[in-house]
Amino acid sequence: MKRFAAAALLLALAACGVRGKDQTSVIRRRLDGEPKTLNPILATTDSEQIVVALLSRNLLDYDENLNLVPGLAEEVSDSPDHLVFTVRLRPDARWEDGTPVTSADVVFTLNAVMDPKVPALARRSFFEGLVKAEAVDGRTTRVTFRTASAGRRDAFNIWLLSAAAWKDGDLATHPRNRRPLANGPYRLGSWEPGRTLSLVRNTQYAGPAAPAEQVVFRVVPETAPAFAGLLSGDLDEMRLTFAQKKDVDAKAGTPGAPRAVTFDELSYAYFGWSNRSPLFSDRRVRRALTMLIDRESIGRNLFGGLAKLANGPLPPAHWAWNAAIAPWPYDPKAAEALLDEAGFRKGSDGVRHKGSLRFAFTFSLGMGSDVQRQMVELAQQSFRKAGIDMKIQPLEWAAFATKMDAGELEAWAAALNLDPYPDVGVSWHSAQVPPTGLNNAFYRNPEVDALLDRLRSTFDRGEAFRLLGEVQRLVHEDEPVSFLNTPLTKWGVSGRIEGVRSSPYGLFLFWPGASAWRPAAGSRPIS
Amino acid sequence: MLRFVLKRAASALLTLLGVLALVFGLLAAAPGDPAAMAAKAGARASAVSPEALAAFRTLYGLNRPPLERFGIWIVRAARFDFGISLSDGRPVGERISGALPATVTLNLAALLAALALGVPAGIAAARRPGGRLDRISGTLGDALFATPSFVLGLVLLLVFSGWLRLTPLFSDGGGFRGYVLPVVTLALPTAAFLARFVRSCVASALADPAAAAGRARGEGSGAAVRRALRRSAAPFAAMGAALVPSLVAGSVLVERVFSLPGAGGLLADAVFARDLPTVLALTLLSAGCVVAAAFLADVVSAVLDPRTRDAAAPLAPAGEAA
Repeated sequence: MKRFAAAALLLALAACGVRGKDQTSVIRRRLDGEPKTLNPILATTDSEQIVVALLSRNLLDYDENLNLVPGLAEEVSDSPDHLVFTVRLRPDARWEDGTPVTSADVVFTLNAVMDPKVPALARRSFFEGLVKAEAVDGRTTRVTFRTASAGRRDAFNIWLLSAAAWKDGDLATHPRNRRPLANGPYRLGSWEPGRTLSLVRNTQYAGPAAPAEQVVFRVVPETAPAFAGLLSGDLDEMRLTFAQKKDVDAKAGTPGAPRAVTFDELSYAYFGWSNRSPLFSDRRVRRALTMLIDRESIGRNLFGGLAKLANGPLPPAHWAWNAAIAPWPYDPKAAEALLDEAGFRKGSDGVRHKGSLRFAFTFSLGMGSDVQRQMVELAQQSFRKAGIDMKIQPLEWAAFATKMDAGELEAWAAALNLDPYPDVGVSWHSAQVPPTGLNNAFYRNPEVDALLDRLRSTFDRGEAFRLLGEVQRLVHEDEPVSFLNTPLTKWGVSGRIEGVRSSPYGLFLFWPGASAWRPAAGSRPIS
Repeated sequence: MLRFVLKRAASALLTLLGVLALVFGLLAAAPGDPAAMAAKAGARASAVSPEALAAFRTLYGLNRPPLERFGIWIVRAARFDFGISLSDGRPVGERISGALPATVTLNLAALLAALALGVPAGIAAARRPGGRLDRISGTLGDALFATPSFVLGLVLLLVFSGWLRLTPLFSDGGGFRGYVLPVVTLALPTAAFLARFVRSCVASALADPAAAAGRARGEGSGAAVRRALRRSAAPFAAMGAALVPSLVAGSVLVERVFSLPGAGGLLADAVFARDLPTVLALTLLSAGCVVAAAFLADVVSAVLDPRTRDAAAPLAPAGEAA
């Protein structure tokens, strides 16, 4: 009998063990694609960056208002001429193996970013003009640049590589890229490629201990199963579509149900017009095209009212957004008058002509977004009524992106996602046309060029605000592209997760971001 | 026979090379620079340094002419070195060997399930053409065959995993339960197709004069069916070879729906990223399987039905005895 009781007890304990450790302290998150690397300077995709954001602190972090705050560095100061930066690390910054984070790591990282053999695609442009990085002492690094540039401090929003861990071997194919050394609140526990990637609390981290003991990322490429997972509790977060947000809102108040978090991001959608084309070279035509698009109706019907009208090249969440600029109104009559004024008059075929030039063109978009396709179709209908013949050409995404970056498209639909301190000139300066820059519309305005040139050496934020305001006003007047709207980002978060805060940079890439997420006491994930 | 086998083997190898060359040519010609795609993955409107792009291209040999790249790849592949993946810098062989088990398990299990369901269903339907079982299985089969696997999979997932919680939502490699729905999703349309095919072959064989003669001799229905199956062996073998590519193609979508980290998803990602080494290696694998299956089918047909083999042999010159 005793043996039987002992066996039963063992079985019961084993059954508990089969369940795993206390599930209350685990956060289950979704990745929509497999990270290819966890090397901090090679990570480019969202999947990679949101994982690295838990493993590493930046030298300087962005807070939720996108102010640069101390991270691994307790201070980053620059010389009066803005050419020399001094980085002073925190004395308690440590790698997960207990060794200190030192200036040798800073030097190693910056040298790696600038190494011509290392494809640091996301980081290198921030350090253009770097002359040298040298260790002054164990905690202090002097970083010297050839030229001064406003916004250079934002370059120090960079994760570090451990010199000791990464020094031997080719950085691009280094085994450490899949077993990184962490200095943040979490470290890598295990990685089953294509399935799960598990982070565990980093006990060597000098800051406050991570609230959850474990964060398990699961690769779920399709949104439908991911949404089912969010509703059932198998996942604690995911980006929502408009329809999914409606479902979540409908279940609000139900015990254990997820909630929707919405926030502004630094992005906007637009229709691009090649300003080189005789059809779109006149700004009256471009304004008319914008005024033919009922953007408010699109916001209501396609985005459930969760979209703000765009009025220029910066979105409302940007610190320098010019709120005084009124978006072009939806006014088909006024738009047609502008087209008439620009010389495009309706012909007998119902299509506008200017001499022998017929107002007909091909509009390209990358496949994959139903909402974008619907926006384009609505615009097509509106254009047709105004005598504009627009053919829609969906393209495979890579083909679309290649053609857009090469400046080969006549008209296209796209969205811009901006950095917290974006170099606006990359998209609007006349010297930044393809293939070197992102001015895919081939927009040219010497006055805007001059302002953008001044901005590069304007270090006073107040003056930068004024100049950016003027840039936005001029670009709005020229309307090189039709600025459409800034949809609010919608995120589903499990009801058991607390400490979720948002920023214009999303949920994860600011400090503390997801490292502050904690399962509510007493909650238990359904498993 | 040996001559037949050698001829078929040479033909199979040439076919494989041709497929690889075609895939390489198409992907190399397709718009999309892998370096630029990798840079765009972060999707922020920042300028990407031309030096960083150049470093990416040099690292992965993208600055070489296409023909040279293809030649290098073929020579290395002969030594089972499939190069480095453009996506993450890992050896392609390592990526594939990590993804293959899920795909092989899924496809093998689906094939067995399809055979286990489809063949008996087809035989049962063939025994009584026009009967109730024949009509029901035909209608059900048409519905299953017409339903896209993506839709079928999602419906099964939402019902059995999301609502009834009988199976896991994510096929985690958590053993048998994680594979049930993906296997069912892949197997059902194939079973439906197989049932129709088997029904047609067996019904035709049962209506044959040889079958009538057998019945006249007092042969039972079981013996008649067995003879019918033997006579249908050649088309069955050909069908078996044709099933493999359709299953493999179907498993790409099924893997995505059920978050199975298989070779199908790997191939899709590699195509979008213009990761040529990975695409070529997977093409070699899948085309190799198809070509091997077709080769085996031809050999089996030749063994079972010597007429097939002899039909391939050159005509004897006039005057020689047959």
